[in-house]
Amino acid sequence: MKIKKGTYRLEKRGLNFSLADDLDFKDRNNCFYFRGGNGFGKTSFLEKIIIPALKTEKVQYIYIGQDIRTQLYTLRALLAVQGIKVSDNDEVALLRLWINHSRSATVFILDEFDKYFPDYGFIFDWSDAFIRAYIMVTHLGYCQPDAVAGKYRTCNVKFDLVDFDGHIKNIRVKKE
Amino acid sequence: MAIYNLDAILNRYCDDFLILEFNHLFISSSIREEVWLLQRRADPALVEKIMRAAEEFGIYDVNADKDFDTYSGGQKAILGCLLTLAVIRSQKIHGLKLLLNNVLDSLSDDNRLKLFSKFEEMRLTHDIRLYTNKKDRIQEIF
Repeated sequence: MKIKKGTYRLEKRGLNFSLADDLDFKDRNNCFYFRGGNGFGKTSFLEKIIIPALKTEKVQYIYIGQDIRTQLYTLRALLAVQGIKVSDNDEVALLRLWINHSRSATVFILDEFDKYFPDYGFIFDWSDAFIRAYIMVTHLGYCQPDAVAGKYRTCNVKFDLVDFDGHIKNIRVKKE
Repeated sequence: MAIYNLDAILNRYCDDFLILEFNHLFISSSIREEVWLLQRRADPALVEKIMRAAEEFGIYDVNADKDFDTYSGGQKAILGCLLTLAVIRSQKIHGLKLLLNNVLDSLSDDNRLKLFSKFEEMRLTHDIRLYTNKKDRIQEIF
């Protein structure tokens, strides 16, 4: 699945993206790092451009959002209605169970997950048998867990503010 | 391991710290309401100060009544800190120990530095001490 270079407008969110390069999530062992200032639309780009494109192309994905509180409740409920016992599990065990039950996914999206776990290599250990591409939003440094550095091609995608006209932010999105 | 365990954080630290937690930054839905709750009265001057401070962090579309959910995660973290600092200053609170939990890692480098300088200012004038929680360990920032 590819997001082609071009202009993407999210008027309701006051964002106008100029994507300078194609983003291809089809190749195996790719790890995309989305970086940029606060309010530059990294999460909006995920939720309003990438995820709808994944849905359109019927590409299954796993998404761990920035606000993990609501998601953990939802996850617990989701697994419970599927008849999977979750009451005795801690949150990480819950996450592992969910990932293990999501083996049809080929894209894994993590929004600032590294603030909870700076060493998030275990996510790759649990999922790299079926995930082709990882997309991570981060504000932390360029250091990667060993599990990631050796195995995945890293692609840094930078979100930069070009200008703001009082209503719309023009954001350039470019591979580094 | 725990991703997010609010009870554990509160049980361990709430006696000694004011805790700002990324997933629980606000009680209400806008700056105006939040100021009303924290000050126990309408305080348009304080709201105005917070909004001007937010603009220094590149939050140009800040508005007293804008729903917190329409800001980005990092912007919410900044607003939570600016609100806290404004109320500390307004209520002349001294000697507070402030624990930021999963807050600083939501900020871009430039905004993190700007925020540190705001806290540093408050450390000098109000003896505020700043801490963060890393891997279940408290670290003093300054």
